[in-house]
Amino acid sequence: MTKVYVGMSGGVDSSLSAALLVEQGYDVTGVYMKNWTQDLPGMKCPWADDLADAKRVAVKLGIDFKVFDFENEYKHKVVDYMIEEYKNGRTPNPDIMCNQEVKFKLFLEAAIDDGADMIATGHYARVSRDIVPVPSERLRAGTDKGPGVLSASGCRCSEETDTQSLVGGQANPSIDGLAPTGQLMQAVDSNKDQTYFLYRVTGEALGRTLFPIGEFNKPDVRKMAAERGLSTAAKKDSQGICFVGQVGIRDFLSIYVDQKPGEIIDKKSGKVLGHHDGAIFYTLGQRHGLELGGGLPYYVVGKDMDKNEVYVTTDLNDGTLWKNTINLADVHWINQAPVVGNYQIRVRHRAPLIDAALSYDGDNVVLNLQNPERAVAPGQSVVIYDGDICLGGGIII
Amino acid sequence: MDKELIYLDHAAATPMDARVLAVMQPYFSDCFYNPSSPYEPAVKVRNDYDKAKHSLAVSIGAKPGEIIMTAGATESINLAFNGINGHVVVANIEHHAVLNCAKRCVHTIIESDERGFISAEAVKSAIKPETQLVSVALANNELGTVQPLREIAQVVKSEREARLIRGDKTPIYLHSDASQGVGQLDINVARLGVDMLTLNSGKIYGPKQVGLLWLASHVRLQPLIVGGGQERGFRSGTENVAGVIGFAKALELVVEHRKHETERLAELRDGLQQFLTEAFPKTIISGHSRHRLAGHLHISFPGLDGERLIFLLEDKGVLVSTGSACAANKGTRSHVLTAIGLSPAVADGSIRITLGHLSTTENIKRAGEIIADVIRREYQRVSK
Repeated sequence: MTKVYVGMSGGVDSSLSAALLVEQGYDVTGVYMKNWTQDLPGMKCPWADDLADAKRVAVKLGIDFKVFDFENEYKHKVVDYMIEEYKNGRTPNPDIMCNQEVKFKLFLEAAIDDGADMIATGHYARVSRDIVPVPSERLRAGTDKGPGVLSASGCRCSEETDTQSLVGGQANPSIDGLAPTGQLMQAVDSNKDQTYFLYRVTGEALGRTLFPIGEFNKPDVRKMAAERGLSTAAKKDSQGICFVGQVGIRDFLSIYVDQKPGEIIDKKSGKVLGHHDGAIFYTLGQRHGLELGGGLPYYVVGKDMDKNEVYVTTDLNDGTLWKNTINLADVHWINQAPVVGNYQIRVRHRAPLIDAALSYDGDNVVLNLQNPERAVAPGQSVVIYDGDICLGGGIII
Repeated sequence: MDKELIYLDHAAATPMDARVLAVMQPYFSDCFYNPSSPYEPAVKVRNDYDKAKHSLAVSIGAKPGEIIMTAGATESINLAFNGINGHVVVANIEHHAVLNCAKRCVHTIIESDERGFISAEAVKSAIKPETQLVSVALANNELGTVQPLREIAQVVKSEREARLIRGDKTPIYLHSDASQGVGQLDINVARLGVDMLTLNSGKIYGPKQVGLLWLASHVRLQPLIVGGGQERGFRSGTENVAGVIGFAKALELVVEHRKHETERLAELRDGLQQFLTEAFPKTIISGHSRHRLAGHLHISFPGLDGERLIFLLEDKGVLVSTGSACAANKGTRSHVLTAIGLSPAVADGSIRITLGHLSTTENIKRAGEIIADVIRREYQRVSK
């Protein structure tokens, strides 16, 4: 039987994922990934309840349950990265780093080391792949009454959409029938699609990954979880950055960064409008929290980290607020780099796809937009799609 | 789901006795007056409150003026440590409320033995000339082990006398959190020989967030909460009249039925223990074999996962816990089990079963069968 390690966070999505895998006949082990959390005075450790919820579901399903401790790696790879990016005046996305460094790297490796054939998570996304990742003994077993080979591998979506030809780049040949690459596909529920957060995952990792709920809408996921008596069926979706928990990013950062008073300056007049307690806390395009008093709302249109100055304007047509061209560095492709041409891009999670012409500038990617787009802060990711296929993306410079 | 639950976690919380609820009821509505107000209806409330405190004092062999009402055992413990500015001695199996209070002072943590028993000798050798407080729970909340409090009190008393002879004015007190033992043990403060005693209403079929700290007249402390000077200035804030009246009734009832209830629970517990140890010979029972609370059964199934057992049993309508409710589900091993030297495989496979008013011959028999069935299946699952 194919051994699948499913990441269980204690939420409804990963709970149902585990249940579906069991029903599909996999040999399933639930894994709670213990990531780093900030201990805040007087607050009960926030992950304890999630761990208990995950375990309760695993026990109900009769599957093995393990805890993988990634606390140190997570702190190093995700939290430190995030703080460093903010210090450099950028606005990073830790969820993307978490997927790249932890879930689809550390977790995958640890699971395989522990005897897993594949991993699964409760992300809203789909994988399409060429080669069915079934271990050789399963192939020999032939027609056991386990999962049908097609649905087991997630190949259904490639059957339905026949996307292989769209990107040219074919999957790597498999080793022992086990290591094909996968293509990342948008979830059926476009409202919930999480491919934006997954664009830095590798094709090899996806080749070993199942997304059991990528085919379903969120309301159906809740319904199916309730029908199966899973205790997490009605649990509230988690909000915000996982490790920041209940405090906001601002409160979180202020633990690591000294508050440093600086000036808020009107970009046009150069006049000092007020004071802030650190340029690090401000993000390009931000409207709220300037505390400049009545009148038209002010928007952040720039900042100078060295001078600790924040520049604002009331002019919604300010050039820095709208972009026709987006430059991306630190570009990652899930499989092959796409050829120059027209694609779709997404500038933030759940934003609609917009058309863009892609070209290259050395290692960087240049995206030319048909209509100017509301600016996105440096450090944020732009993800590039070809229809339903998520090709990869890069970080705004 | 409408299945009948078998509650086996009386050490975590107890259902309020109907008679307790009945005496509390008027003080939520008709008798709502502030006991400090001057008019007649309020004076009546004040008298009822004082009567309840009197009853609480009588139940533990103390004087009414020596009792401070608090919002539960944790507050009582914090108050007992407040104003101590010297060295304190506690054991490694104490509740976190005690351990965390001790950590704010210069402290020595003594080790219990493998049964969770704290010897008077260990306390004696930890006492220094500057020691001001020794805090030992009457019974351990996880294992049910009952401590030799009278012997420990003798040690503290000898130290106090030695200081008196030396002309050393450094005070030394013995505090005991008796929250877990009240329903089953004698808690007469004079006989126990303690200087401070904590009790918790929520563990004895009374309302939660109500507790008391008894202070011998020679004890000097600092209030945690200051304000209008209620409770002799040791605990300001308008009195929790309904809670205290309920607490008094609850204590009265458990003291009244103590002997019979203790015998009943011991018999049920022994039967369950025998049934499970016979069915699973590798089972390990922790805690002291003789000095153990009647309703307590701390039992380990080596190689199994206690947390898993809790969820499986819950699914079958049996509610148990691993260790204290505060420690459970934190993904960490109980400090008590580590302290008594249980190996990880044994510690992780343990559950705490605590019997009480809701336990009957029938439901304990059924619980035993359900537990045995779950354990059997889990052993099968892990061995495949």
